[in-house]
Amino acid sequence: MSITATDFHLNGSGIVTKEPETLNKIPGNRAVWVGIFAEMTEFALFFLVYFIAKAHYPEQFNQGPLKLNTLAGTFNTFALISSSYFVAKALAAVRLNDPKKSITWLWRAVFCGCVYLVIKIWEYHWNVDQGITTNTNNFYTVYYYLTFNHLLHVTWASGSLLWAIRQLKAGNYTQNNHLGFTAIACYWHMVDLAWVIIFPLLYVLR
Amino acid sequence: MLKNNFTLNTLDISWVLLMIITSANAFVAETAEPSLAITAIICCSIAYKGRRIMDYFMELNHANETIQFFMRSYFHVLPALIFLSDLFSEELASLTTI
Repeated sequence: MSITATDFHLNGSGIVTKEPETLNKIPGNRAVWVGIFAEMTEFALFFLVYFIAKAHYPEQFNQGPLKLNTLAGTFNTFALISSSYFVAKALAAVRLNDPKKSITWLWRAVFCGCVYLVIKIWEYHWNVDQGITTNTNNFYTVYYYLTFNHLLHVTWASGSLLWAIRQLKAGNYTQNNHLGFTAIACYWHMVDLAWVIIFPLLYVLR
Repeated sequence: MLKNNFTLNTLDISWVLLMIITSANAFVAETAEPSLAITAIICCSIAYKGRRIMDYFMELNHANETIQFFMRSYFHVLPALIFLSDLFSEELASLTTI
């Protein structure tokens, strides 16, 4: 299928360009995609462990999600999806040569990342109050292992967003030179993608 | 006037859709009894959300075909595995018993 000059809108921002910036290209750079695929493989292995553990301990995995705080998981999903949206908006803004707007969108994304971390830490405390710890049963061991690993990814990915803000302020990411920014955005979206699977596995499916 | 000030683009629509699907998932978590049909619906929602994020937020829609292939495969294979592991849980347990 060919893409004509009139049917592509730059990152959904409404600006029509001759061709998408990422047309047949690797978004960001090769290095970040090596990292992304390595992380996705790591999460895939965790998911396989979840499947096997669920098959061996169906009762624990049936009852486990009922005791978790679904609202906290839902708000965390809202926070991550919104942060991904803000990062995509920030990238669109820098392409339109509006670094100030881009920085504003990135701060919103960082705020969502912080909201996620605060909710997750509160949720861990809430779990402990309900008597849910890493040793309670196999479901909660998998739950803590998956969510804490994901929390670490959100933490350092938030750091990379702060780095992007610094680079934008310094004028190092511009309309014509923002490959590093695109790479950071891709990594952030990967963190969001991992949560898209983790949330239903731990909070919804029984 | 309102039309000029308030327009939704692909990113905005994707965000709204993802929020709605997440809310529906949370509603299912709180109300529905576990069944294969519910698992199938949730698996479809995972695949759709993943595709939406990859295509529009990550911009893989027209990107390098190898990356597109692997990323899209991930979000086809994993939801399928979630469903199959639920459907054949006893077989999986016996296969993985040491």
